[in-house]
Amino acid sequence: MKKKKEKGLYLSDRPPLTAVKVGMLGLSYVLLFFYVFVILWPLAQILFASFNGNHGSYIQIGVSFSFSMKHFQYLFGKTYFLNWVWNTILIALATAALTLLFVSFTGYAYSRYRFKGRKASLMAIMLIQTIPSFAGIAAFYTLHSIIASIAPWFSRQMFLILIYAGGGIAGNTFILKGYIDSISSELDDAARIDGCGNLQVYRLIIMPIVRPMLAVIALWSFIGPFLDFMLPSILLNDPRSYTLATGLHTLINDVRNMHQPVFAAGGLLTAVPIIILFIALQKQLVSGLASGAVKG
Amino acid sequence: MKVELVNIGKKYEGREQFTIRHIDLEIEDKDFCVILGPSGCGKSTLLRMIAGLNSITEGDLLFDGKRMNKVEPKDRDIAMVFQSYALYPHMTVYDNMAFSLKMRKEEKTVIHDRVIEAAELLQMTDYLYSKPSEISGGQRQRVALGRAMVRKAAVFLLDEPLSNLDAKLREHMRVELVRLHKSLETTSVYVTHDQTEAMTMATKIVLLNDGKVQQVGKPSEFYEKPANLFVAGFIGSPTMNLFPGQIEDGVFKADDDFTVEPDQADKESLAEYQGKRVVMGIRSERFLAGEAEKNNISVEVDVIEMLGKEQLLYCKFPNGKECVISEPGHFKYAIDEVHHFHLDLEGLHFFDEETSERIG
Ligand SMILES: Nc1ncnc2c1ncn2[C@@H]1O[C@H](COP(=O)(O)OP(=O)(O)OP(=O)(O)O)[C@@H](O)[C@H]1O
Ligand SMILES: [Mg+2]
Repeated sequence: MKKKKEKGLYLSDRPPLTAVKVGMLGLSYVLLFFYVFVILWPLAQILFASFNGNHGSYIQIGVSFSFSMKHFQYLFGKTYFLNWVWNTILIALATAALTLLFVSFTGYAYSRYRFKGRKASLMAIMLIQTIPSFAGIAAFYTLHSIIASIAPWFSRQMFLILIYAGGGIAGNTFILKGYIDSISSELDDAARIDGCGNLQVYRLIIMPIVRPMLAVIALWSFIGPFLDFMLPSILLNDPRSYTLATGLHTLINDVRNMHQPVFAAGGLLTAVPIIILFIALQKQLVSGLASGAVKG
Repeated sequence: MKVELVNIGKKYEGREQFTIRHIDLEIEDKDFCVILGPSGCGKSTLLRMIAGLNSITEGDLLFDGKRMNKVEPKDRDIAMVFQSYALYPHMTVYDNMAFSLKMRKEEKTVIHDRVIEAAELLQMTDYLYSKPSEISGGQRQRVALGRAMVRKAAVFLLDEPLSNLDAKLREHMRVELVRLHKSLETTSVYVTHDQTEAMTMATKIVLLNDGKVQQVGKPSEFYEKPANLFVAGFIGSPTMNLFPGQIEDGVFKADDDFTVEPDQADKESLAEYQGKRVVMGIRSERFLAGEAEKNNISVEVDVIEMLGKEQLLYCKFPNGKECVISEPGHFKYAIDEVHHFHLDLEGLHFFDEETSERIG
């Protein structure tokens, strides 16, 4: 009964649609569908290619489909794929953890404390950001050989982690500082009166508030090592120690060892850890988006 | 707890001058002390120094005789309500109120009892599990009060806690706050720029301006015996009428062409001002309707503000000088009429024009 009564009422807060607006709306949908297609089509191709037993060394167009796991079998049986996954995840996790830890300190300190060289060091960080990290390749080499001669356990992978984390800390310090700046410092004062020390102010008050930002930073630092090809391909020399990007590259960069469908299968599986992390962080990310929307 | 400020001064980093300086103040146990002053005069600075959030550049801060300059805020046994409320946005109302007790590792049952007690007093029991973003401004303000209350601290600091509320709620909260202060039996220091709040709530007012204390005392003293021209102009609404002039033969000759013969008490204190410049102040309600033998003025009514019980007449002297006169609401006045008034001699204030200090 009640439902029926409401049927005739116009409940939306927006003005009713005119014919022109309906047309515009239709156009938006068409554009969006096109956009979705552009993204999903290649993904679908990868999916089909990796399960298509009719592909040989190359992915060819117009080959009929027959389901097979042979590319995956090759991937797990004949390559160091599991090593690569393991390496990449370790490097990504370490990078994300290091970045989060340091950015927490630097972002908070730059936002809340006045100290000598604050402005100058912020500027320096920003300027150094503009130099791409592979420009420092020669420096990285020498640095690593110096450190390794003192501490032999310091592997090239650890060095890679340091480079990734270093870059991430610099860039994300800005982002987090800006975000913390927008939080009233009276909150800090209130917490101090309520009995918090400096670290507790950050851990109990600031960190929960900036959590969406931290989640984004964590996600980005985690994805970084999955995407980067340049640094590991130069720094790492043992195929067992490769990351996914460099490892999978060995399957397509040499005619004698050409396995394009296997490459596709590996690429498909690469997405799995990232998706898992994304789902784990989803709540934080979405809550951040939502609260931002309300504020604006 | 008794709070004493001895010759306190504050200079912010990167500023040329002291923001406040030479502040001497004694706030007795269980006092409700209101720090009053125009915007930017350093009220918050002073309060934050008492709280330990700003460092003290010079002078001493004593709590019950103990020097507190270098003591951490959390060890000062204080609670503070901030102008912006500063509620923790990620915690529920309950957790906001319980936070300080949790930090002090109180027992769970004690915390729960205190929070419930405060919530009942502030009528917030229905909102205990809401987030600050889900409640109204007035309710947030009460949460901020509750958060400070549960601690049962010895000193209660409040920084313009009512400034964000609407007029009705503000009036209500004024009474609530005074009641709260009495029931908690604490020393309260309350910062405001609103003289009505100061006059109605305080047992003691401190009026700050230019980084200096202008006057300290009971609310009535501020109205009846303003210590200088600034206080005279700041306290009271409408503002006190001020007439510069000269003393000649014991008679005040205003620059605006009228003379006043002060009463005996004023005459004595004015004795040494023979031939000197002074300023005479008189509040709007001290003008009496009609002519008397002496001390008359005649002015033209310019604007009338009818308030019901009384009416405010904005009048002009023949030379253009303005003054405000309040008369009972049932008297008949009309715009552009010329009326005669005489001055109530007991309501006169005299100030030295040069130093702007009160005479007598
Ligand atoms: N952190 C700071 N650094 C430098 N100067 C400051 C700082 N905080 C306040 N000041 C200066 O000190 C003066 C007094 O500020 P304060 O906040 O105490 O004013 P207030 O009396 O509380 O004003 P309001 O009524 O507007 O809150 C102002 O001139 C302000 O510019
Ligand atoms: Mg203030």
